[in-house]
Amino acid sequence: MTQDRARFDRFLPLKPFVLDVLLELADGKKHGWALIRDLQQRDGGDRILPTNFYRTLRALRDDGLIEEARGDANEDGVERRQYFSLSTLGAKVARAEVKRLEALVVDPRVRRLVKAR
Amino acid sequence: MKASRSLYRLLLRLCPPDLRREFGDEMEALFLQSLERARGTARLRVWVRAVSDVFRHGLGARRDTWDKFRKTSAYVEYETGGWWMDTLRYDLRHAIRAMGRQPVTSLIVVMTLALAIGANTAVFSAVHTVLIRPLPYDAPDSLVMVWEKREAEGVMNNSVSAADYLDWSRTAQSFSSMAAFTEVTADLTGAGDPEKFPMAAVSSPFFDLLRVRPMLGRTFAPGEDLFGRNRVVVLGHGIWRQRFGGDAAVIGRSIMLNGNPYQVIGVLPAGAAFPHTEAQLFAPLVLFAPDEPPSRTSHNFGVYARLRPGVSLEQARSEMDRIGKDLEKTYPQLSRGHGSYVTSLPEEITGPVERTLVVLMAAVVFILLIACINVTNLLLAKAAGRRREMAVRAAIGAGRARLMRQVLVECAVMAIAGGAAGLLLAVWTVRLLASQLPAVARPDQTVIFSTPILLFTLAMCVVAGLMAGVLPAWHMVREDPAEPLKEGGRSPASMKKALRFGLIIAEVALTSLLLVGAGLTLRSFQTVLSQPAGIETDHRLTFRLGLPGARYRGSEAAARFYAELEARLAAEPMIQAAGGTMLPPLTGLDGRRGVVIENREVGPDDGPTRAHPRVVTSNYIQAAGATIREGRGFLPTDIESSLQVAIVNDTMAKRYWPGASPLGKRVRFTDQEIWREVVGIIGDVKHWGLDAPVNPELYLPSTQFPTFAMTWVLKTNGDPLALIPIAQRHVRELDANLPLFQVRTMEEVAAKSVERRKWTMTLLAYFAVLALVLAAAGIYGVMAHLVSLRVPEIGVRLTLGAKPSSVMRQILGEGAMQAGIGLVIGLGGSLALMRGMRTILFGIEPTDPITLASVGVSLMFVALLAVAIPAVRAMRIDPIAALRQ
Repeated sequence: MTQDRARFDRFLPLKPFVLDVLLELADGKKHGWALIRDLQQRDGGDRILPTNFYRTLRALRDDGLIEEARGDANEDGVERRQYFSLSTLGAKVARAEVKRLEALVVDPRVRRLVKAR
Repeated sequence: MKASRSLYRLLLRLCPPDLRREFGDEMEALFLQSLERARGTARLRVWVRAVSDVFRHGLGARRDTWDKFRKTSAYVEYETGGWWMDTLRYDLRHAIRAMGRQPVTSLIVVMTLALAIGANTAVFSAVHTVLIRPLPYDAPDSLVMVWEKREAEGVMNNSVSAADYLDWSRTAQSFSSMAAFTEVTADLTGAGDPEKFPMAAVSSPFFDLLRVRPMLGRTFAPGEDLFGRNRVVVLGHGIWRQRFGGDAAVIGRSIMLNGNPYQVIGVLPAGAAFPHTEAQLFAPLVLFAPDEPPSRTSHNFGVYARLRPGVSLEQARSEMDRIGKDLEKTYPQLSRGHGSYVTSLPEEITGPVERTLVVLMAAVVFILLIACINVTNLLLAKAAGRRREMAVRAAIGAGRARLMRQVLVECAVMAIAGGAAGLLLAVWTVRLLASQLPAVARPDQTVIFSTPILLFTLAMCVVAGLMAGVLPAWHMVREDPAEPLKEGGRSPASMKKALRFGLIIAEVALTSLLLVGAGLTLRSFQTVLSQPAGIETDHRLTFRLGLPGARYRGSEAAARFYAELEARLAAEPMIQAAGGTMLPPLTGLDGRRGVVIENREVGPDDGPTRAHPRVVTSNYIQAAGATIREGRGFLPTDIESSLQVAIVNDTMAKRYWPGASPLGKRVRFTDQEIWREVVGIIGDVKHWGLDAPVNPELYLPSTQFPTFAMTWVLKTNGDPLALIPIAQRHVRELDANLPLFQVRTMEEVAAKSVERRKWTMTLLAYFAVLALVLAAAGIYGVMAHLVSLRVPEIGVRLTLGAKPSSVMRQILGEGAMQAGIGLVIGLGGSLALMRGMRTILFGIEPTDPITLASVGVSLMFVALLAVAIPAVRAMRIDPIAALRQ
């Protein structure tokens, strides 16, 4: 467990955008375009920068946080699309990041701050 | 949309290839989608974001690929590695804003650095092209020149005769090829206005030897330098563009040169340059006509050769020595004492300017130091105003290193701005510099913008920024941050004052070094110009004629030709006098021989008795404007069969007949039996140049001493250039196949003999003035600032009864003191350093007291002037206002 922890601790804290990508993939495998579309719907507007997005995707894949997945043969006959899904490591990293954020939110100081508003 | 697509595709090339292959299409589609959605100015924003995205993440992705440890930086929120770059970006932004807040100071700093960096860049570009970069030829180290050597006369680099060149190139095994060269003039007629151009006459291996390939057509084929096949010409790139409109169809066309049709066979590429000529026209050099053998007596050619691979310069020299000895045996009369000498071509070209360039480089480095001191002073003054800013930064947690870096980044930004402006100045300065540099190694604008020079300039910027910034930066962060935050915090002025005085002293010392250097060259130049040439240079035309030995065999034919030419020219109403000499003055052409003085005891300590023969026609002395001091000149009656006569120059008379008149005494050459009677003494004439010593010279009439090549001097009271067609006509009428070489006015000859000196002097003077202005500005700045810091103190003293004049005297005295110390150090240093300039000085010692004194006085004067303004201001301080402050 400690070893495992050390393995994904080095990815933390995650950029919000990276966490978004991991959370989108937690719903199931998606190809790049669908991922962008969903991210844009959540975010509103087109804030996604092409090079940044694909660079991140490649880095996540190279580090084993996401995996390439086989697409549905009948979905798009002609176009070969690359599907991605969350790996076990990716899921653990995402979970750790969410826990870290939760811990931040339950901090008594944060509560005081929120109450003061 | 199509344009946007290709532009974006181009931009994506910044991404690593694998990323582009895998996701390029999708990235493009995503970008085009956002572009389609945007309208109006929003499209511009999409573009700006896309560019910054590709630059940041495309290049970042490249880093992901090679830097495995940084891989996480792609998505970890707090990038550990980016801190440095981020703060640097912050510092840069801050520096640019800080410059904007003090535009005048920043402008002064940038301009000061621009002047210094510009001068450094220009001089370095010259040093780079001449001394560092190899010559622009393939394997330049194997290129050599072969000269005729006359060891007995002390001449190692005499021009070569046609016959010697032909013999050498046939027999020498050390060289893969050998080519002869000379420069002539060509009248280009036909296309456009008639125009006179220098033309290089070269033997056919010339271009192959230098491995210069034509851009169009071809260069000379073997055999094209033979009589009858030689009417072909290769054009330089410049003349091809100017006179022939850069038309490729010029190949095969016929152009008129000196009244003869020449077929254009090739055009050289832009930038092709040659060692000893700037000619734009190249014609084959015809070494002999069919009915006469090549001349061994007329020495007119430079000879280039390329060493065979594996052959050293020494090996080539010893082989040429052997060949010289063989030729001496074969032609005992013509080649006696003539050997050959091989020198490295790169050294021949760069040698003459090497020392000057080193001196100039030292001068501009001094200027850079002075500029840095000025900038340091300015920044120190500024630092006082920024103490609070720095203290606040320190108080909220900036470390000393961090603050220091911020100040240094500010300096670097100003230095780089200065460097950019300096590049423009360098383009201008380099033109001034280039005129006297060898054509093959001449820097121009394109050199300024070449990688090594740009790197040098960048390095200069960094060095200048650091040098100028490190003291102020240290000064700013050294202080206890609490001090300036206290109300009315006292500034540590005492330390600052000592530091600043030190800077003034350094500045004055450096400036005095530069001024001494410039002063010495200026005085040298004056001394050179004040040297009597022994001849008059105005209203005189000179040209050289070489008689082919075969057609003018023996002294009889040549003497007849010379007498006839002299008579014809003298009969021209425009020509007041005309005469010929074997060796024209001020050109460095020379030779010398051993002589025997009748009844002179040669002591064991006496050197060899030698004289430099000068064969002249009877009217030469008058035509050149030389003076006969005693006795007579040559007369038309001095002919071969009459009494053999000679004229000696002043130096020879004093050296070999000390305390006695040489008139009526006899002299002969060591290798001849004929005694010649001295009939006159001629005033010394400078032959090697105004700055060269005069040697014993023995003048001989051309009627009694056969010579085949002569330089003619024509005196007129009108425009000497108007004599050219007249001279050409008479020569052609006497001998249709005789070309005129080296057609120049005597003033051109004289100017040419001092032009390199003038160039050195102009450049050093220019740099010295620059240094003086910078130093004056620096001294003024420091004193003005110190006065402004001392306003309260001066106010108190004035209130307590001090006279304004004594306040002024004190300030003046302080300034004068610093300047004086600097001057003493500088002049002391110059005594040691200027020894390196000895070789480029003339007639004065590097310790010349007049130069040192005038530099001292003028620098002191300028320094006092710079101090006077703040001193007067201090005197006028209103004590009431000062105390209130």
